[in-house]
Amino acid sequence: MKPVMRIPGLTALMTCIGLMLVWQLAAQLYDSASLPTAWAALQELPRIFADPQSAMDIYASVRRMVIGFVLALLCATPLGLLMGRSKTLATALNPLLMVVYPIPKAALMPLIMLWLGVGDSAKILVVFLGVSLPMIYHSYQGARAVEEKMLWSAAAMGMSSTRRMLFVVLPAAMPEILMGCRTGIVMGLITMITSEMISRQVGAGNILFNAMDMAQYETVYAMIIVIGAMGIALDMGFEAVRTKLTSWADRQTDNTVSSL
Amino acid sequence: MKNFPRLPALIGAFPIVLVLLAWQGLAMSGRVPATQLPSVVAVVSRLIEQLGTANFLGDVAATLYRLFAGFSIALVLGVGLGLLAARSRVLSRIIVPLVRVLGPIPKVAIYPAFILLMGFEHSSKIALVVADATFPILLATLYGASNVEPKLVWSALAAGTRRGRILTRIILPAAMPSILTGCRIGLIISCVSVFLAEMITSTEGLGHQLVVASRSFQTVDMFVSLVSISLLGLALNFLLGRARKYFLRGFPEES
Repeated sequence: MKPVMRIPGLTALMTCIGLMLVWQLAAQLYDSASLPTAWAALQELPRIFADPQSAMDIYASVRRMVIGFVLALLCATPLGLLMGRSKTLATALNPLLMVVYPIPKAALMPLIMLWLGVGDSAKILVVFLGVSLPMIYHSYQGARAVEEKMLWSAAAMGMSSTRRMLFVVLPAAMPEILMGCRTGIVMGLITMITSEMISRQVGAGNILFNAMDMAQYETVYAMIIVIGAMGIALDMGFEAVRTKLTSWADRQTDNTVSSL
Repeated sequence: MKNFPRLPALIGAFPIVLVLLAWQGLAMSGRVPATQLPSVVAVVSRLIEQLGTANFLGDVAATLYRLFAGFSIALVLGVGLGLLAARSRVLSRIIVPLVRVLGPIPKVAIYPAFILLMGFEHSSKIALVVADATFPILLATLYGASNVEPKLVWSALAAGTRRGRILTRIILPAAMPSILTGCRIGLIISCVSVFLAEMITSTEGLGHQLVVASRSFQTVDMFVSLVSISLLGLALNFLLGRARKYFLRGFPEES
């Protein structure tokens, strides 16, 4: 891959500014209440963050997402790794996962609300479900691709199967696992917003769609900027961590492909 | 394993059957009220009953129309832009950063803007599907097309292929496995996003059905729409697998 793929933060910033300019121009040409200018939406931002209620809402959203994400990481990665190393387990679980995959996890929200009520736990569970699937899938792929010879050598040196899992399979599958995490972050953000939009109690998604219902279009677009910025920031931050942790892995593989 | 060709299918069916049995058992045990968890039998018979009604089929048709319209546009955009970015350095300088920035934005958050700009009809939902499905296809195409063995291109040139045709004759087929993987991700994402869009604002479609059912506490109907979207995704996945077999004939066997 050419160095073109290695984009530092500066390029991303330039791109964001460019997009904002395009938006500003388009809004001025289109001139309608349903598309406020980028500048008007940006001016709305301080107001949102100054309002303690909405600041709390956004904080609560992020907190739920982080909890769901961490729980998913703890459950999905071991499961995926085991699936990658045990053929029986993989053939057993793959069809089930395939059935569950196309169900939008946020669509389970109404059902889960029936079971768990409208509190935090329902939303955390939805985020957990949304994040788990890509993580299972990626760690499965990662564990499956581990060089057999390494496992044999480890076994020959007397490593127990648990230790082989921890010290050979886990590190070898790490690049792929982290790729799954990256997809998971975006998925988590999506499910978080959607779940809040459906249950309409608290959170960033709630602010967004309430503003939409009350025709406060500047707030709608400002919230889009906030959520979009969250997505970009999380992705870039995670990417930095990822390259640091797996700098030993083959730089040829372009990770952006399997993200999303 | 090779001696029992049907064994993997059996092992694979086992957990699904187990989940269904546990579900049915839980529903029949009377521990949970049917308003919270209807039995499998009730859901399946309701689904079969619904399949005969024009209303339900109309909803499925609306969902399918949006899904396919969105996915087709995403396919053309994704493959087109991906190939362009892979072949032209100038264009890749523009496309790649854009993808980097726009890719991780949760597209559902932009959906309100689509509604405001395009109204509540089909177009805003199709736009959401396009926004969601384009990126995985684009990235997969870009990846596949930039990793084409240069020797293939050289040999084609040496054999007299015109430069303009390299793209369609060499690059596109060589990038096909990667493109199809992208399509698979894109298709699942299309399923998810069309359903979400319909849940947010809609007057028809499977997602709308779920919302209506949940508002009137018709738990059976909620399950019916969830099961339908899952079956839909499964069917599409199967069709794509067939398409993959067809397009990749001659490629070495992989996954």
